[in-house]
Amino acid sequence: MQKTFKITAPEGLHARPATQLVSAVNSLDADIQLIHGSKSANLKSIMGVMAQAVPHGATVTITAEGVEAEKAIEKVTEVFVSQSLGEETE
Amino acid sequence: MLSNLFKKKDKEEKVLAPVSGQLMPIDQVPDPVFSGKMMGEGIAVMPDSGSVVSPVDGTVVMVADTGHAIGIRSAQGTEFLIHIGLETVALKGEGFNVLVRQDDKVTAGQPLIEADWTYLGENANSTVTPIVVTNGEGKTVRPVAEGTCTAGETVIMTVTAG
Repeated sequence: MQKTFKITAPEGLHARPATQLVSAVNSLDADIQLIHGSKSANLKSIMGVMAQAVPHGATVTITAEGVEAEKAIEKVTEVFVSQSLGEETE
Repeated sequence: MLSNLFKKKDKEEKVLAPVSGQLMPIDQVPDPVFSGKMMGEGIAVMPDSGSVVSPVDGTVVMVADTGHAIGIRSAQGTEFLIHIGLETVALKGEGFNVLVRQDDKVTAGQPLIEADWTYLGENANSTVTPIVVTNGEGKTVRPVAEGTCTAGETVIMTVTAG
């Protein structure tokens, strides 16, 4: 499953947002990827997410596979919304 | 060379100070992302002068466009994030001069980023520079120094498997 977000965080997905996203899903039994343009990063890796250098205004797709995939997407959505990092888009 | 790599796996990694200054326990950094160890175990330096240098031999895996943060992966696979000052992403690159690029091989003590500490002192929330292990699962990360540290010389932390 997957969900797409437009990044609204003024500084993009730098250290703090990356950490919040990773912390939310780290313990889940799922393979979760953050796709930005042609590059994909493991959403359980702070360094991987930061290396994507996702800027304000960019669109990212979160994909999740595995037993807790649904929960992963829920958690990610919660962090995006509660931390004002991004909004859901089609 | 390859056999060296495997032997090293069991060895303790020594992490050198990324910048000269005064060491500060990570839980005293005035930012919960660091003090709560959300990002990982580590230590911080209140810098006094000089460049930010590589804490280990490794590869540059991430360097922020804004120059305020850099990630190094050691030969053993440990990932270190050095975050120069707090909320410094907002400075949009001002006060930083990045000397390396992503995928560059670097050696311990090699200058990575020049920081204008005077500018940062006036414009950032804090110049305190945490260095944390972002993939510490299954590793023991131990801060081993306090007081004054010298960039590229003082061993400030050790990392061991298990």
